[in-house]
Amino acid sequence: MKVIKLIIVVFTIFFTTTSCDKEFLDVSPKGQFLSENYYADQGQAFSALVGVYDVLRKNSGGFENMIAMMNAGSDDQFAGGGGASDGAGIQGFSNYTLNPVIMPESFWNDHYQGIFRANTILLKVPSTTMDESLKARYLAETKALRALYYFNLVRLFKNVPLLLDPLTATNMYEVTQSSPAAVYAQIEKDLNEAIANLPATVPLSTEAGRMTKGAAQAILGKALLYQNKGAQAAAVLAEVNGTPGGTSQYGYKLLGNFDDLWVASNKFHSENILECSHSSAGNSDWGWWGAGNDEGNTLNVMVGPRSYALTEGSLAPDLPSGWSFNVFTQDFYNVMKGDPRFHATIFDLKELSTLGQANYIGGYQNTGYFLNKFLPRRADVRTGGGALELNYRQNTPIIRLADTYLMEAEALGGTGPRAQALLDAVRNRAGLSSVPVSLAAIKAERRLELAGEGHRFFDLVRWGDAAAKLADRGFKSGKNEIFPIPVRELNGTKLVQNPGY
Amino acid sequence: MLKSLTKSFLLLVLLFTTSFTFAQRNVSGVVTDAKTNEALIGANVLVKGTSIGTITDVDGAYSLSVPGADAVLVISYTGYSDQEITVGTQSTINVTLSEGAYLDEVVVIGYGIQKKSVVTGSIASLKTKDLENVPSARVEQALQGRVSGVTIAQNSGQPGSASTIRIRGITTFNDAGNSPLWVIDGVVVDAGGIGFLNQNDIESIEVLKDAASAAIYGTRAATGVILVTTKKGKEGKLNISYNGFAGSSSPAKVLKLLNASQYAAIMNERAVAGGGDPLFPNINLGVGTDWQKQIFNYGAKRYSHELSVSGGSGKSTFYVSAGIQDLEGIVTSDISKYNRKSIRLNSTHKLSSIFTFGQTLGYAHTKDSGIGSTDEYGGVLSSAINLDPTTPLVVTDPALANAAPYSSNPVIRDTNGNPYGISSLVGQEMRNPLAYVQTRLGNHNWADDFVGNAYLEAAITSNIKIRSTLGAKRAYWGNLGWTPVHYLSATSNTLQNSFGKSENKVFNWNIENTITFDKTFTDHHVTLLLGQGAYKENVGGSIGTTIFNLPVNSFEDASFNFDIPQTNRSTGTGDFIEHKLTSLFTRLNYNYKEKYLFTGIIRRDGSSRFGSNSRYGVFPSVSMGWVLSNEEFWDQNGLINSLKVRGGYGVVGNDAIRDFGYLSTVAGGVNYTVGNSGVITTGYSNTTLDNPDLRWEETSQTNIGFDAELFRNLTFTMDFFKKSTSGILRPIRIPGYVGVNQDPVGNVANMDNKGLEVELGYKKKIGDLNLNINGSMSYLKNEVTLITTDSSATFIPGGASFQSMGEVTRTAVGQSFNSFYGFQTNGIFQNLAEIDAYKSADGALIQPNALPGDFKWKDINGDGKITNDDRTFLGSNLPKIVYGITLNLDYKSFDMMIFAQGAAGNKIFQGLRRLDIGNANYQTEALSRWTGEGSSNTFPRLTSNDTNGNFSRMSDFYLEDGAYTRLKLVQLGYTMPASWSGKISSSKIRIYATAENLLTFTKYTGYDPEIGGGVFGIDKGYYPQARSFIVGAQVQF
Repeated sequence: MKVIKLIIVVFTIFFTTTSCDKEFLDVSPKGQFLSENYYADQGQAFSALVGVYDVLRKNSGGFENMIAMMNAGSDDQFAGGGGASDGAGIQGFSNYTLNPVIMPESFWNDHYQGIFRANTILLKVPSTTMDESLKARYLAETKALRALYYFNLVRLFKNVPLLLDPLTATNMYEVTQSSPAAVYAQIEKDLNEAIANLPATVPLSTEAGRMTKGAAQAILGKALLYQNKGAQAAAVLAEVNGTPGGTSQYGYKLLGNFDDLWVASNKFHSENILECSHSSAGNSDWGWWGAGNDEGNTLNVMVGPRSYALTEGSLAPDLPSGWSFNVFTQDFYNVMKGDPRFHATIFDLKELSTLGQANYIGGYQNTGYFLNKFLPRRADVRTGGGALELNYRQNTPIIRLADTYLMEAEALGGTGPRAQALLDAVRNRAGLSSVPVSLAAIKAERRLELAGEGHRFFDLVRWGDAAAKLADRGFKSGKNEIFPIPVRELNGTKLVQNPGY
Repeated sequence: MLKSLTKSFLLLVLLFTTSFTFAQRNVSGVVTDAKTNEALIGANVLVKGTSIGTITDVDGAYSLSVPGADAVLVISYTGYSDQEITVGTQSTINVTLSEGAYLDEVVVIGYGIQKKSVVTGSIASLKTKDLENVPSARVEQALQGRVSGVTIAQNSGQPGSASTIRIRGITTFNDAGNSPLWVIDGVVVDAGGIGFLNQNDIESIEVLKDAASAAIYGTRAATGVILVTTKKGKEGKLNISYNGFAGSSSPAKVLKLLNASQYAAIMNERAVAGGGDPLFPNINLGVGTDWQKQIFNYGAKRYSHELSVSGGSGKSTFYVSAGIQDLEGIVTSDISKYNRKSIRLNSTHKLSSIFTFGQTLGYAHTKDSGIGSTDEYGGVLSSAINLDPTTPLVVTDPALANAAPYSSNPVIRDTNGNPYGISSLVGQEMRNPLAYVQTRLGNHNWADDFVGNAYLEAAITSNIKIRSTLGAKRAYWGNLGWTPVHYLSATSNTLQNSFGKSENKVFNWNIENTITFDKTFTDHHVTLLLGQGAYKENVGGSIGTTIFNLPVNSFEDASFNFDIPQTNRSTGTGDFIEHKLTSLFTRLNYNYKEKYLFTGIIRRDGSSRFGSNSRYGVFPSVSMGWVLSNEEFWDQNGLINSLKVRGGYGVVGNDAIRDFGYLSTVAGGVNYTVGNSGVITTGYSNTTLDNPDLRWEETSQTNIGFDAELFRNLTFTMDFFKKSTSGILRPIRIPGYVGVNQDPVGNVANMDNKGLEVELGYKKKIGDLNLNINGSMSYLKNEVTLITTDSSATFIPGGASFQSMGEVTRTAVGQSFNSFYGFQTNGIFQNLAEIDAYKSADGALIQPNALPGDFKWKDINGDGKITNDDRTFLGSNLPKIVYGITLNLDYKSFDMMIFAQGAAGNKIFQGLRRLDIGNANYQTEALSRWTGEGSSNTFPRLTSNDTNGNFSRMSDFYLEDGAYTRLKLVQLGYTMPASWSGKISSSKIRIYATAENLLTFTKYTGYDPEIGGGVFGIDKGYYPQARSFIVGAQVQF
């Protein structure tokens, strides 16, 4: 019977220790933090700030990136790609059949993710124990980024909820859209607050890509221009631009050679005011393509020709192949032909192919005119892990000095000696002689100078020229100036769809 | 390691055999069948409590030395009831054995066994004899078509690949959560991890289908439980058994694709129709390259050898086995192989009159090579299907071979130094499959699995047993991958070689303690089980390293010992998240005179995957049975010999969801490249919103069934069930403006499965002919009954997708899970008049841009336009009916088995042709395309400018009937006369020939209608199952 007793004792111990021991079931989330403990020190505040910067990658990272998308809807470029259904969203924007269902959600979601992260910082970091001046800078950067994301949202969707605090499970369905004016007011407020605390310059090796006074002012100037506040816009942009053709107070200066803008190794040069930063060191792979840890430039592979191969003895550049998106229209080719910026802008594979220098397989809407500014380059094919297609490292400009020159000239109404000087500076760098400044001249210059950088559609809408220029694509006035709100945002919420969709 | 283990096994065998003793008296006799008086060959004759025993010879005769007059002989024979006879003074003992009644079998029910005649739940059972003739590489395949209610589809024909198993349909929305719980000798093993098991080692497999049976496994039982019991040694003579076979496999079907001339003509037509120039000035190009022929192996080899030794003395029994299996795949066999070596040791030891100690331990080493990508993005099959037949396999023309792209790139060459052809027409990931093979040589996966348990059982009184079991699994797995510098196409190339390996290890353990009280009070029989368990799984992690730019360029020369700079190394290391459970459970089995049966189960589980608000779940079940045929009033007629009706209800759970679904954590991975050096800075953010109220997903199930025996030789089992899953765990689609990068998990949907299952068995002896037929059939209907992924949802978007087509399935209320979803075609416009006649109510053309030869789309919502809103549900990928039939025939020394299985009531998405590759080849169906009025009403015109979306839209055009019947196995065996086998002291020698996958009857136009995977029935260039012919031998000593 001793044995029985022993067994019973053993059993009792088991029942009481393992089964009823709640600690046994506690598993810690290895490699993650609990949200109530986070944002406690300077290091964590900085990591959270990097999370807000992460969304800047939207400019040219991931399949659904701003440049490729916005180019597709302009009159200069087609969506292209492998076929008529290669990317329903980009195709739908290109032929103006976008609807709430095929509207790529990420253009909405990603910006709101940046805003959520910014709002969380603005809520938590003020009470973080850290150096106060550094804290002020972090908060300024956060506000500048939040302003930029709202600026993109209001331009893309116009009627968006203005959220300044992180939502919770209990209040998330109570949200309504704010007027564009209210959103713009917040953008101006955030930027003005940010400008006061942002550094004029940052050390390039460690901090390049972070928000500076000049970058925030450039965004502010642009936002003012979009609200038709010309005088205010011109004043802010003048701060950024300084003397046309010279070096501005923040060190901005046009590069001498237009071609140098598109060299991948030429990062954070003096012309770029705000840059989307990419790296080949992320070993990015298909499994997390477009997610927060994908640091590659996807635009590069998207605009490359399909199955590009040199012929024997060819002198054409050796390029990695791509997916044939964003091919230029014949119309744009005709306009660009003869401009000194032609070869930097258009890779004329039609000609090379006719000359027997290279073979490729034409994609959808193929014209043979590829976007040379962002073509993938053999030298930039990554060495290391990950998918070759997803690890290009070319940074892309979000705002560059030629852009702010032309914006200031436009804000000045396209007249006057300063507007003339600004326009001349851009043309002069390209190797062109002066033309009399006018709004029409500025528009023409923007089209050529900034071709394929994702600005054209916004410009056409801002100028009121979209209906005329895009009618043959199916553009409808009063509807297609903005995107439909993705259908998911309307399910069970108080949001209202944009007119016409 | 392997060697030393084998050595110790041999030692053990030696130990057991030497303990045999010899005795004084001789007894002999003949064992015969009670009914037919025929001799029973190979019956066991054993002196009870000793290891003295023998087997009857070909005349049924035996002769044996026994220790004394009080010795008791135990005579047993499979399928017959045992007999015990005290020797006394007799020297000749003739024995007659009666066939055991079918219902006298026992089944394993989890933490115990039960007589099948008193089981109240729905449990399907397979025994050794059902398994031993099926030459499957993995155990799941042996279940296919043999038990009702279980749908099995192979994930791939790649040797050693797993199958997708669904017990009574799909239980939940998440793929991993739908696999049944595998319990091998009491150790929970994940579905992917059962590959280590050697089928020859299995004593029985029980499938607990209904909740009333499965509830004993509580929180993880919602998808059904599969219990595997491995073989134990039996007291008596040493039993040595060998089974080996060798054979050859070939593809069962090849697709009919366009040859070069046909292709050129079609491509020209297509290009011209799209407004372009013809691609081929000359279309007389002969047949061109048959890519399929290049990748298929019509003589893929396979072999298997299994040896087992079992036996036991009065105190101990043991079973040891060793096996090796080797298979070559039928697709590019150089990179498609599977090899498994396994050993097993099971033993039990009677320590004293109270204590018994037992253990099982299985070990397997598996090595396999896969063909890499098996989808449409670069899979070997996909390439063979899509590549144009005009590209040569190997370029032999020096003018071509010395020009670009061959001259300027590191292209792959054949043994003669000629480059493999590169298509200039079909680009993207499609690549010369033979060249691709050269870039993958040497790559392989490997796994080492140890699974075992040990228990100590104390029979405290004759009624009370206490048992403590410790089970554990230790697994290591990983892969080794080599990529040389290569140029397969403009899209698929690299100028840096790389060598990578990954290693994972995991440790799972559990401890279970049970007390069983078993007592008969006159007519009342009670078995009460009380138990407690604790489980810890997923303790471990993974490490992986890839190095680039090695100074060598072949797999053989590659090594991690090369001094590769840090910039050319990439590593990935991770910890697994532990998963823990604690449980208390109890089960009461009660019966009155084996007439009225009752089973009740309660299990309470706590899981680490849930928040503190609902960490514990309680899962109860009851089931009852009534054996009518045991009632006094039952007329023992010849019609219905036995009849049991049973019914049960129970609730079971599922915690196969993501870890920490209830928590908002702050995680890294929202990174940005700060600074101009390309260094990536890690960013952190809140991943999602909290949901502390996350609760268990619950599956309740009602089961009603009966078991009957008719006409003395027909068994008939039927079950009806309704299984309802509520609170299905899935991410809730919250609005994007909330701004979290992961949707929080919530309990968001309900789903029902209703079904009917029938199992039939028929046995008949006609002279020397033994006939045995078993059939099973299941009908299943799956329906989603509620979805609340957001506050107004009626469907869940983002089901299975296909290339640029986007979603091809959708899950919606009132439909089965992941139903096909798309446009409906309504014939083809034969002429302009038909297009002009297709008008909406207000007179506008519905398809103004269509041309003759385009599909006429149904305007489902009647708005006069064809938009995405005109998509509708087009059928289910889940077979409504699955069935199998096995026929066994024995005639004297010959035996034959025929096994057929099939499925019906499902559709298959045939997506073999790449959408975005205009010049991809077509199947010969394209020859009957629309070419003019009246030419076709089903296959539209071909054009490079498919403005009507004939091919780019998901529609019923892509769906085909997935019904099939497959003659899975035909086996012919011959057992040698004892006079021959006796010459090598063998008790039995059987030789056999098997044809596997001989014939498949189906209308499906792809390779194989059996397509598993997360969503059944999506064919993107699926590795088809092989047809094999094998010959083998079984030898017993």
